[in-house]
Amino acid sequence: MSEADAIRLAQGGDAAAFEFLYRLHGRRVYALCLRMVGNPSDAEDLMQEAFLQLFRKIGTFRGESAFSTWLHRMTVNVVLMRLRKKTLPVASLEETTEPDEETGGPRKDIGAPDLLLTGAVDRVNLERSIEKLPPGYRTVFVLHDVQGYEHNEIADIMGCSVGNSKSQLHKARTRLRDLLQEEVREQARNERQIAKTQTGQAD
Amino acid sequence: MQCRELDVFFEEEGLAPLSAAARQHLSECHACKHFFDDVTGIVALAHQLPAEVDPPEHIWISIRTELIREGTIRGFSSERAAAPWWQSFAELFRSRTWATAAVAMVIIVVAFMLGSKPREQVMQVQEDPYSSTVTALSQQEHDLASMQLASTGETSAVDASLRQNLQQVNEFIADCERRVREVPSDELAREYLTNAYQQKAQLLSAMMDRGGSLN
Repeated sequence: MSEADAIRLAQGGDAAAFEFLYRLHGRRVYALCLRMVGNPSDAEDLMQEAFLQLFRKIGTFRGESAFSTWLHRMTVNVVLMRLRKKTLPVASLEETTEPDEETGGPRKDIGAPDLLLTGAVDRVNLERSIEKLPPGYRTVFVLHDVQGYEHNEIADIMGCSVGNSKSQLHKARTRLRDLLQEEVREQARNERQIAKTQTGQAD
Repeated sequence: MQCRELDVFFEEEGLAPLSAAARQHLSECHACKHFFDDVTGIVALAHQLPAEVDPPEHIWISIRTELIREGTIRGFSSERAAAPWWQSFAELFRSRTWATAAVAMVIIVVAFMLGSKPREQVMQVQEDPYSSTVTALSQQEHDLASMQLASTGETSAVDASLRQNLQQVNEFIADCERRVREVPSDELAREYLTNAYQQKAQLLSAMMDRGGSLN
């Protein structure tokens, strides 16, 4: 069965067609939900909600955009709605990162740990840091750098311009770097503390 | 090119390909080179993260059950009596290759039990080969009923769907057990009963993992 056939049959209420579409797209949708909310329980709820919305509205799908884009747009909306409910009123969904005022450079790096050379960054650190990104940055970063969507697709999914997608991605990457540097500093502090404690015990 | 201009370049053009001016600046500015190397490494690591993850099977079961209930999936009668007693649930096992493996496993286990037990126990096993399964599932259901609700303190849509699925499975098991008692030679009924026990075990396991409650 092709995706187009499955869509047509699903619009007629065919059970096998619904399952075909679920199996075709479910893994990417679940991965997106998981990365956005960070825990399997919430990700399962969101995935179910996204697919139920999709299947209830499938009769309205006219093929103006790709089906996967339509599905991902619905998923992102469901996820962001949930995250907005959980966000404290004073916090915005996106934070701005301002370049250094004096030099206009990306960041002052004096004394900052070199993430590459120390080999301190691994997948666990990265996943933990992704979870700390503001939802808007997190969405664009996951869609582009993890799931491989292009900016024109992301713009379609998120209802923004290509330029906005690029800008959000750059800010997300910059913010992730800051978070990872902080993570590395924290680990180094903990290791020094442990070494100090052990030295104190040995004396 | 100044540092701020390089930042704008990264924002508008990404990390690759670099313009000649960008490359020149990176060769001269340690801070920007440091930034570029770090972000390039982060992106490379992000590419290694799995873009797809297998969702738990019970999600599809919950979605499907809900779509049938509200009539989005058509062709399923809400009157169970209108369809053959087993047909309303047969679809759920249609695509489940594990159900075939599960049936084979049960047959092997029962055959082993029959071969290893004394005659009087063999007669008992033949009369009720599912007794240990029923006992185990009843105990698991009792344990689940004692568990607290999930930490959110709310009933999620998935939890509600799982409870609904469990109720449907229990009703189907009751039908199958009645059929097996009335017509012990009905192999199809036994097969569906075995599959239904497996389904119930999987549901209970999923519910326990989520910390759900039957109450």
